[in-house]
Amino acid sequence: MPQRAFPGTDLPVREDLAQAHRRAWAAIAAPGTWLSAARRVAIAAEIRHARDCAHCARIRAALSPEGVPGAHDTLGEVSPAELELIHRVVSDPGRLSEKWSQSVLAAGLAEGEYVEIVGLIAMVMMMDTFTRALGASERPLPAPQPGEPSRYRPAGARRRAAWLPITEPEDATEADGPMYPSPKAGYIYRALSMVPQSLRDYWALASAHYLPGPAIYRFDQSVRAIARPQVELIAARVSALHQCAY
Amino acid sequence: MLRESMQAQGRQVDVAGVARGFGAEAGIPHAAALAAFTEAVVRREDERTESGRRALREALGEAGLVDACAVAAAFHGFVRIADAIGIPHYSSPGGDDLSGLRERAGINEFYRVRKDGALR
Repeated sequence: MPQRAFPGTDLPVREDLAQAHRRAWAAIAAPGTWLSAARRVAIAAEIRHARDCAHCARIRAALSPEGVPGAHDTLGEVSPAELELIHRVVSDPGRLSEKWSQSVLAAGLAEGEYVEIVGLIAMVMMMDTFTRALGASERPLPAPQPGEPSRYRPAGARRRAAWLPITEPEDATEADGPMYPSPKAGYIYRALSMVPQSLRDYWALASAHYLPGPAIYRFDQSVRAIARPQVELIAARVSALHQCAY
Repeated sequence: MLRESMQAQGRQVDVAGVARGFGAEAGIPHAAALAAFTEAVVRREDERTESGRRALREALGEAGLVDACAVAAAFHGFVRIADAIGIPHYSSPGGDDLSGLRERAGINEFYRVRKDGALR
C-alpha cells in the first residue's frame, strides 16, 4: 500500500520512492568524500536559494551566458567558486562549457569537490522538483551529522572523455566499491564516477524516480504506472527544455 | 529512448516534438497533457502545474500522476550531471551516432552542440 509520506498532498507515493527520498536526505546530511556534512547541507541550502537568484535570471535571458555583469544572490555560506558552480548548474545547465568548468576549478575547487557538488545539485533538484510537481511541501533541510570526509579518489579516475575525471568501467577497482551495473554503462552513468559514493547515492535516488537499471533497455515493458512512451516523452521534453543534448 | 519505446510497440513518433512539443498527433496517450504538465514543471509555473496535475490525475490516475512527477524530477538531475561534468553528447548510450535523428529532434540547435559543432 503506497504511503502518504509527503506533507501537503494526498497523493499516494510508492514506498520505494518515499524511502529513496529519506535515504537521499540522510546521505546529504552525512560527511561526503570531499565535503563535510555541514558543507553539504550549506550547499543544499544554496541550491534552493539559487532558483530565485536575479543574476541567474539575467544570465538565462542573455544571448550569451558569458560576461553578464552582476553578482549572485547568496546565503553567504559557500565559497565564490562553489557559488558559481551551484548557481550556473541549477539555473542554466544547458549553456555550460569546458572553459567555464575549468574556470570554476581554477577559482579554488578541487575536482572531487566539483563532482561531489554536482551530485548534490542533481539530488536536491530531483527531490525538490518531485515535491513541487506533486504539490507537496518542500522538506526542511536535515541537520548535518558528525564525521570526516573519506577523501577517497579512485586510482583509475582520469580526465579523458569528459571535462572532469571519470573512472571508466575497465579502470574501476574493488576498492571503489560497486559502481556499474554493466561494463557498457553509458556516460550518464559514468559521470559521477570520480566520487563513487556520490555515484551510488545519486543512482539510488534516480532509479526510484525514472527506472531501475534492468528496466531501462526493456522498451516493450513498463514498470511504472504510465506507459514507457509516456515516460520517454516526459524525459525528452525535460531534456530539451534544458537544452541537454545527451 | 522515446523512438525505441515507440518502435517496441510497432509505432513511430515524430521526434520533432522533442524540441517543439508534443500534441495528440504524437500517438502517445495523453501526450499533450503530459507535455503541458512537464513544461509547467520545468518553468516552475505554479498555476499551470496545478491545472496540469488535475488533468493528469483524471487522465492517468493517482499512481500515473505520481510517476509522471517522478520522471520529470529525475531528468532535472540527469541534465545537470550530463552538462556539468561535460560527458560526450555525440553518441547514444549504445554508442550509435544518430545525426539525422538529432537534426530532426532539434538537438543540433542546442547551445553546447552549436559550440562543439553539430554532427550533420
